Amino acid sequence: MKFTTDWLQNYVDIDGLSVTELTDKLTMLGLEVEATTPLYEELAPIKVAKILKAAPHPDADKLQICQVAVGADKYEIVCGAPNARDGLLTPVALPGTILPGGLKIKKSKVRGVVSNGMLCSEKELGLSEESDGIMELPENLEHGAQFISAMGMKDTQIEVDLTPNRADCASVIGIAREIAGFRRLPLKMPVENGEITTTSRAFSVEIENPELCPRYAGRLITGVKIDKSPWWLQQRLLSVGLRPINNVVDITNFVMLEYGQPLHAFDFDTLAGGKIVVRTPRDNELTFTTLDEKERPLEPDMLMICDGEQPVAVGGVMGGMNSEVSEQTTTILLESACFNDVSIRRTARKLNLSTDASYRFERGVDPGNTVTAMNRAVELLCKVASGSCTEGEGIDVFPGRQEPTTIKLNATRCNELNGLDLSRDQMQELLESIQIECSAEGDDILIVNPPSFRMDLEREADLVEEIARLYGYDHIPIALPEVRLSYPDQDPVRQMRLRTADLLARIGFTEAINYSFSSPDHLDMMALAADDSRRDQIQLLNPLSIEQSVMRTILLPGLLENVKRNISFQKTSIRLFETGQIFLPTGENQQPKEVTRLAGVVSGDIHGDHHPLHFKQQDSDILDVKGCLEYLLEALRIGSPGSVNPVSFVIPEEKEAFVDEDQFLTLVADKKVLGYLGKIASNVVKNFGIKQEVYFFDLDFDLLCTLATTPKSFTSLPVYPSVVRDIALVVPDNVSAGELLESVRGSREKLIEQSEIFDIFRGGKVPEGFKSVALSITYRSPSKTLTEKNVEKAHAKIVSMLTDKFGGQFREA
Amino acid sequence: MEQELQHLEREAKETLATLQDQSQLEEFRIEYLGRKGKFSSIMRNLGKVDKDDRPRVGQLANTVKQEIESLFAKKKENLDQTRDKVQAGGVDLTLPGRRPTLGRLHPVTQIMNEVCQVFENLGFAIAEGPDVETDHYNFAALNIPEHHPARDMHDTFYISESILLRTHTSNMQARIMEKKDPPLRVIAPGKVYRCDSDITHTPMFHQVEGFLVDTKVSFADLKGVLTVFTQKIFEEDLALRFRPSFFPFTEPSAEVDIACVICKGEGCRVCKQTGWLEILGCGMIDPEVFRMVGYDPEKYSGFAFGLGVERIAMLKYGIDDIRLYYENDLRFLSQF
Repeated sequence: MKFTTDWLQNYVDIDGLSVTELTDKLTMLGLEVEATTPLYEELAPIKVAKILKAAPHPDADKLQICQVAVGADKYEIVCGAPNARDGLLTPVALPGTILPGGLKIKKSKVRGVVSNGMLCSEKELGLSEESDGIMELPENLEHGAQFISAMGMKDTQIEVDLTPNRADCASVIGIAREIAGFRRLPLKMPVENGEITTTSRAFSVEIENPELCPRYAGRLITGVKIDKSPWWLQQRLLSVGLRPINNVVDITNFVMLEYGQPLHAFDFDTLAGGKIVVRTPRDNELTFTTLDEKERPLEPDMLMICDGEQPVAVGGVMGGMNSEVSEQTTTILLESACFNDVSIRRTARKLNLSTDASYRFERGVDPGNTVTAMNRAVELLCKVASGSCTEGEGIDVFPGRQEPTTIKLNATRCNELNGLDLSRDQMQELLESIQIECSAEGDDILIVNPPSFRMDLEREADLVEEIARLYGYDHIPIALPEVRLSYPDQDPVRQMRLRTADLLARIGFTEAINYSFSSPDHLDMMALAADDSRRDQIQLLNPLSIEQSVMRTILLPGLLENVKRNISFQKTSIRLFETGQIFLPTGENQQPKEVTRLAGVVSGDIHGDHHPLHFKQQDSDILDVKGCLEYLLEALRIGSPGSVNPVSFVIPEEKEAFVDEDQFLTLVADKKVLGYLGKIASNVVKNFGIKQEVYFFDLDFDLLCTLATTPKSFTSLPVYPSVVRDIALVVPDNVSAGELLESVRGSREKLIEQSEIFDIFRGGKVPEGFKSVALSITYRSPSKTLTEKNVEKAHAKIVSMLTDKFGGQFREA
Repeated sequence: MEQELQHLEREAKETLATLQDQSQLEEFRIEYLGRKGKFSSIMRNLGKVDKDDRPRVGQLANTVKQEIESLFAKKKENLDQTRDKVQAGGVDLTLPGRRPTLGRLHPVTQIMNEVCQVFENLGFAIAEGPDVETDHYNFAALNIPEHHPARDMHDTFYISESILLRTHTSNMQARIMEKKDPPLRVIAPGKVYRCDSDITHTPMFHQVEGFLVDTKVSFADLKGVLTVFTQKIFEEDLALRFRPSFFPFTEPSAEVDIACVICKGEGCRVCKQTGWLEILGCGMIDPEVFRMVGYDPEKYSGFAFGLGVERIAMLKYGIDDIRLYYENDLRFLSQF
């Protein structure tokens, strides 16, 4: 909503209030000032000039040489406008001036005659789209004066961002009412409230859908002369960014801005049967051409204003070409009506047509003001467009008339909610300052009669807000609630998420957050099979782009995009993780299942960007990822061997499309797949434009949160020393490290405390197809110091068990 | 002047102890002992000292100068020795340390945790809810019926007619109030979605919604809680203002502005010359919302608020493009 300070002055005295004070106050009243723009600043250098004498140019037919007075100075200026004539006052741009279009005025020769500036048209000053000569200024102006001050154009435009509840402030008078309220000054209305006293016989109005049109009023104005509006009217419209069109249209726009009541003027002679019918379209009425010359499809629930035969306007949105006011128009039917807000909103949406009228009707237009605003326009039409209209005559159909309502405001309750301590009288004074009538009842009650322009005041709560707003949020004290102490509920999944994030950050992982929606192409890039269940994705009905059109079913593509981005900025050593939801469809029109997953990617040098002096370049591999997960599980005390739910790394039978066949492991917990890890297949990496190896993990975070943790419990520290014995075994290549360790651990030899592999070696003396595996086994007894004999016995058992089982050969280390 | 000299001696000693290399040592020499140094500038005032005191002060000055010079020489020798040791093959202590790689949490997570922490300290519980929500919980239960103009304020992504991506974490209000009776103190952090994308909007961002319901909760309490919050998150003496606004699920409604953290309220590009920055929306929970979940609005009152996490991080850290959050560029992430 735009208005200007000068315009406001017509309705309320704002003298003594600076623009900043005014805008601050409006903002603090809930009318947030979006912008404050001093108007016509670019026209400040323009002066008023008087043409003393205009004589033909000797070498050009259409040019004149004008002797011009600007105050005490005289200039010779060449001018091409046909209306340049002796005695005319007109704006002048002297050399050095830059016009709104960017043209810089210079002293220049025009066909051999020096021109010392330019006499300007309205178009050149940016005041109109077209002009057929230089601007003609009123004769009473002083030449030499600044153009904008002489013309009363020095003004400041203020734009307020209206919240949807404040329909009453979509008008200059509405804004003025608020200002009059806080200044405790009277509000000056341009016309008195009016009624239709005589029903016109010259036309008729019929409302077929009263639920969509609670009030429709019209008056007939005859003898209208369509012309350019007077300057004051043009200027008002220009000052809020509206283009003047002709006196009739300009008046309807002006009154809409002034009162907030959209009006429409029909050329009465185009209306068949002299009739207005407010109705929805007939079956055969499929399209309608609006004023902007566009043919628009109609739908059965759109409310149309029709004449005796056909639609002539889309009610509350835009008029039609067929009944438009033209230069030949002499008789006008002026419409002032109220329409159903939801219906207008729907229609404007469907037509994708938002107008100043629909903006107001969607929010609600005061049904108590329909005739008054119309009368204001009639007054102006008579004054400005030489129309005439019989006093009080017209038609007012008001099927939606409502009894005035009252609301009870409990003063104590109001104070409790606002944290204030106002007397009932103070509340009454506040409400009445903005024309909300009220009266006292009993000790504590105010009976409030909300005025018709405040359609947002329906309940006590609305009045409580009104009191707080008018008193000033700034003046409400600051307190802290008195509450009963209670221990807040904890969200275990959230706590686990914070914990895992922290643990991963400690080992060099940085957290990524990717969009929950992604590109459907990602799944092709991940090489997923056509029947892969992850291809069953939820589509957005209105995505911003195809890249963000489906809800993700897997986190990895986002992370791979991140890897690519970082590599392209020379950051090749990468550890990223993300904890986020994936979205699995559950059925038509149902919320999907949201599963939280924890995924990570590892690529490049394991030492990050650290000093190459200290760390030799070492590329990450799958064991780094495996190690990270082992670390994470250990830190979370989940799934350690021997615990209730051990988590094991299993080489799966089934392959995953995007994982390197040979480097793939699943994590199994509680007989469920907790997640998987591995190396991203080289073709997939390539699909993402990445030229280095990438390893990943991807866990079901919700499942992880349900796994039992190993409780902390104390075990006595061993008192007796341990003995360490190494074994080197030459075993066939296909014997895995895991199997060897598993056998040692499962040997039931009680003295074994720990067993580890510390070296694997191929080549040298080890025959082809074999490898040498070195194990270190720690023996300890809880009850005594082990003798050489004890250890030997146990160790020999293990060695022979291993050689028997794996066909290996014991080799001296 | 005697005091000045004593002070100079103390200051010089302390500074010397912190110096690490020859170039810093040279700077020290110029600053303290140079012709235009601190010592000389004190000595220039010797003439103004009372004649009788002059010899005593002169002597003190000498002692101070000698002391500083000797400490300087000692430090110089010390540094020279270190260099010799390195040349002789000893450990070069000036080499950078051998350090493990530090990972970091996303700045959004960091701010979100900070925000949650403030409210946890005030006894609020934390609850999370679904990103893909029904029209009911996102709109209808918050007093935003279909075709309400307030829906224009939310550019909603739809999945179907009645299923959408939540446009705020306010969806948790009705979800929690349906299940529990007051008193309630809850905050709901999470992702939210709106179809909007430019330098200050991403189609996904993070919000923290909070609400408190009890008997006798007032607007003054709301002001108090949010004042504590903004001061903990930004700075203790930060100015803020509550400005009337409109949300269908609160009444009275307010927007909270903080004094612009960039220009300190003077007016700049970031605050559009107003000196204020909007950081959150809030209000007293509308009785209609209570009625829909079966609370008695005559008995209970409460407040709710919602804030954008990215925006707070942008203001706090001076980030000028919201899209950076979702590019996951390590050069960006490692700054926080």
